[in-house]
Amino acid sequence: MREEIQNIRNEALAQLIEAKTADEVERLRIIYLGRNGKVNKLTKKLKSLKTQEKKEVGSLLNDTKDTLIFQIGKRKNQLKYGVRQWFDPTIPGKKPVIGHLHLITQAIEEISSIFEKIGFTRVRYPEVEWDYYAFESLNMPKDHPARDVWETFFVDSKKDKKYGQMVLTPHTSSGQIREMERIKNPPIRMINIAKCFRRELDASHTPMFHQFEGLVIDKDISIAHLKGTLDYFAKNYFGPERKTRLRPFHFQFTEPSFEVDISCGICKAKGCKVCKEGWLELGGAGMVYPSVLKNGGIDPQKYTGFAFGWGVERVVMMKPGLNIPDLRLLYSSDLRFLRQF
Amino acid sequence: MNTLIPDSWLKEYLKTQAKPSQIAKFLSLCGPSVEKVIKENGDFVYNIEVTTNRVDSIGVYGIARELAAILPQFGISAHFVELKINKDAIFSKKVKYLDALVDQDLCPRFAACLIKNVKIKPSSATIQKRIKLVGLRPINNVVDISNYIMHELGQPVHTFDYDKISSHKMILRKSKKGEKITTLDSKMHTLGGGDIVIEDGAGRLIDLAGIMGGQNSAVSDKTKNVLLFVQTYNPVNIRKTFTSLSQTTEAAILFEKGLDPELVRLGTLRGIDLMEELTEGTAEKEVLDLYPEPYKPKTLRITVSFIEKKLGISLKQNQVVKILETLGFGIRVNQDNLYIQVPSFRVRDIEIPEDIVEEVARLYGYHNLPSKLMAGELPDSLSDFTFAFEIKLKRILKELGANEIYTNSLVPKEFVSSNALKLKNPLGSDSEYLRTSLKFSLIQAADDNKGIKIPFHLFEAANVYLPQARQLPKEIMTLSGIFSNHSYREAKGVIEAFLEELNISYKIQVEDAKDFLPNQRVLFNINNTKIGEFGVLEQKKYIYYEFEIEKLKRVYKPYNTFKPMAKVPAQIEDITLILPERTKLESVIQSIKQASKLVSLIELKDIYESSYTFTIHYQHPTKTLTDKEVEEIRRTYVGYLKHKHCASLK
Repeated sequence: MREEIQNIRNEALAQLIEAKTADEVERLRIIYLGRNGKVNKLTKKLKSLKTQEKKEVGSLLNDTKDTLIFQIGKRKNQLKYGVRQWFDPTIPGKKPVIGHLHLITQAIEEISSIFEKIGFTRVRYPEVEWDYYAFESLNMPKDHPARDVWETFFVDSKKDKKYGQMVLTPHTSSGQIREMERIKNPPIRMINIAKCFRRELDASHTPMFHQFEGLVIDKDISIAHLKGTLDYFAKNYFGPERKTRLRPFHFQFTEPSFEVDISCGICKAKGCKVCKEGWLELGGAGMVYPSVLKNGGIDPQKYTGFAFGWGVERVVMMKPGLNIPDLRLLYSSDLRFLRQF
Repeated sequence: MNTLIPDSWLKEYLKTQAKPSQIAKFLSLCGPSVEKVIKENGDFVYNIEVTTNRVDSIGVYGIARELAAILPQFGISAHFVELKINKDAIFSKKVKYLDALVDQDLCPRFAACLIKNVKIKPSSATIQKRIKLVGLRPINNVVDISNYIMHELGQPVHTFDYDKISSHKMILRKSKKGEKITTLDSKMHTLGGGDIVIEDGAGRLIDLAGIMGGQNSAVSDKTKNVLLFVQTYNPVNIRKTFTSLSQTTEAAILFEKGLDPELVRLGTLRGIDLMEELTEGTAEKEVLDLYPEPYKPKTLRITVSFIEKKLGISLKQNQVVKILETLGFGIRVNQDNLYIQVPSFRVRDIEIPEDIVEEVARLYGYHNLPSKLMAGELPDSLSDFTFAFEIKLKRILKELGANEIYTNSLVPKEFVSSNALKLKNPLGSDSEYLRTSLKFSLIQAADDNKGIKIPFHLFEAANVYLPQARQLPKEIMTLSGIFSNHSYREAKGVIEAFLEELNISYKIQVEDAKDFLPNQRVLFNINNTKIGEFGVLEQKKYIYYEFEIEKLKRVYKPYNTFKPMAKVPAQIEDITLILPERTKLESVIQSIKQASKLVSLIELKDIYESSYTFTIHYQHPTKTLTDKEVEEIRRTYVGYLKHKHCASLK
């Protein structure tokens, strides 16, 4: 029987070399390795052998079978893929370790570059600020009810005679007077992007967050310029088909004051579950109140201006398709989150 | 503040064919925003956000007045229907049934009227339905009338059981510190002083005015005679009281915004009508009305061109006049000047010409204004802010595989140095202090990822806050990072690459510090000044580094000075040194460098037990070094090393 096995093996290998197509090889596979193939027939014969011999012949037969399987596979691939040097271009690549910039950083970069293109200068002012800059100079004297909206954190420290209490800045508007004091003579085109703090914590608020504040002061600045700037931003940040609209609102430091909406990107402003009748709230804006200009040392008879202050997190969360359900996620350090962006 | 306005109630004061969806849309565009329209009980209810300056439009009546001005701008006919008063009354400074002594600073207008022989019972079905639609619970006719008028006119109304007012005498005054009053809701309040209270003839406090009535004077099922009570109060006192008692009511919220004293008259007359109609009681003919300083109309001057400039469009004078008239302003035209008389209900809101601009603009329609970018000179944009440098640092770290995080600047006490700034009103003890270092925030962030067993590197750029006497704290923009599951060499290599990208050449100094393992921390120095630190922390052997961004910015080079490339290749060889234990490699490398200027690069290639293999480049600027020359250099530094470090060449 040993001889028989040898013969089948040699015969098969010889035929394989002569095979010209993959189909031919497949036919040979069936002849030798198929259910009723030559190898299987020999396997059946094994039963009749004595134990010791059965073991030895069985092992030889298995070797032969393995050899044939391997050689058939090899010949098949040879015929299928030709005689060129073997190379598998589908092998998975080896990736370098890639780091990630946080979504907030990405958004801040995007926002500042949009505004820098139209001549805005990015600035940053104190995160721990005097009451004077955060409220008083913005037309909100002590005990003014309008302050309630800003759930302000107070620092446990001595009051300053001139500037009042130390607070964590609740909005980037605190930078308005500081920028006027820095520039002194308009034109001013400021974009102030900074950390802000309020006593709030829920799915859409974190006690620390970021705002970006635009401030433009020059001769003859009108509502039309505010609208132009907001439209420019919305189209560049959210997409060219998006529009903004203004609704009347009230802030102590602007007159008139507006709430700014952007057309919903999901329903194309037709109205859907996500938006209010086709519009989403973006944030506040307005024409700088004359007394605020005066507080910043700028003559309101000569100059006018507009300002807007919006949440960075808010505009990030509004990016179509981002679908982050809870704003607090932005402040988690979970790498499974961070590596997605 | 939000107000609920049922459509059917609104239409009592507004004649229009406008559909609820149109009302919602157009009101939002030109007036207070309609947040939602709810279909309820066969009616539509508008949920409207009214801004604090427009308390005049908080009720049904005020919204009707706004809509009568707004809807015609969209080509929809609308007319404001004034409230019809059935029974006239005489407003008098003195009445027989009540003796009142009122502090005018606290209460600019005080009105009251006695309604006799009332029958306490449930209100009519319509009133009950409306009370429910605005989110309240019907109680009885007298209480419901108060609530009804508040939602209709935006004027709070209170009712006393007349027979419970001792001697029918009232003194309206500031509270004294420590005085006590139990309000309608059975809560006992100890007053801080300066609250507005009313004392009766027996010296009892019977009203925490503007907030809630006293229990001892409340209307009950047995009440026979009711004192109808309509006031305006000083907003500052009201605000103080409800913040100090942390108790507020709808009435208090309205009073706090500063109500129109002229509205008191309408509120009182409406009260008398409803009381007579619903309780079968009879009102006294004379209403007590203490109003020593009646409203004097205020006038502002404005020109059309002023408005045009602010809007960026041109307007016709009659267009402006018409808009303002529909809003209730009185106009007198004198050539280019418009003299605008402000109605009493807008007097707190309209103060400067810009306020008039807003009225014209919103009615003209913000959506009708053009949209254009500014022309004009650009500001000088050179500023010494570090933004561009910060993002450069972040991008380098990203390229080196780091992940950026943002953690809270407010941290617990354990995270800060002893003099850190503390908040007066933190949200909790875990966010009570302003951080003085990013270290512990980053340790926490690394801990948050403890499930991750492969190496990771987190970093953050944020301010730390260092207190200064009598000044705002110094805010220092700091760049810090933490490595987990990294070897010391891997982590240090990342930071070396980072500094190399910034073209910073530095010296390393070993120095121990708190929180770091002994002997496992280095400083990066330039001219003996520290620019950063790096080392292994005691906590979980995390590797931590910290740089002050301002300092990095001062020493980095945006680009290198060009060095000509060598014309000939370097000689490169690997040598293996056997070093005694506890040899610092930095000094070995320095020794090799000192041997010859021609040693251009030394890199540690391999470590095996005490054998250290270095790859060394020998480079002459102009010629190829011969083997002999190289050998000479090698002999020199091997000599040095033997002498200085007891090293031997393998």
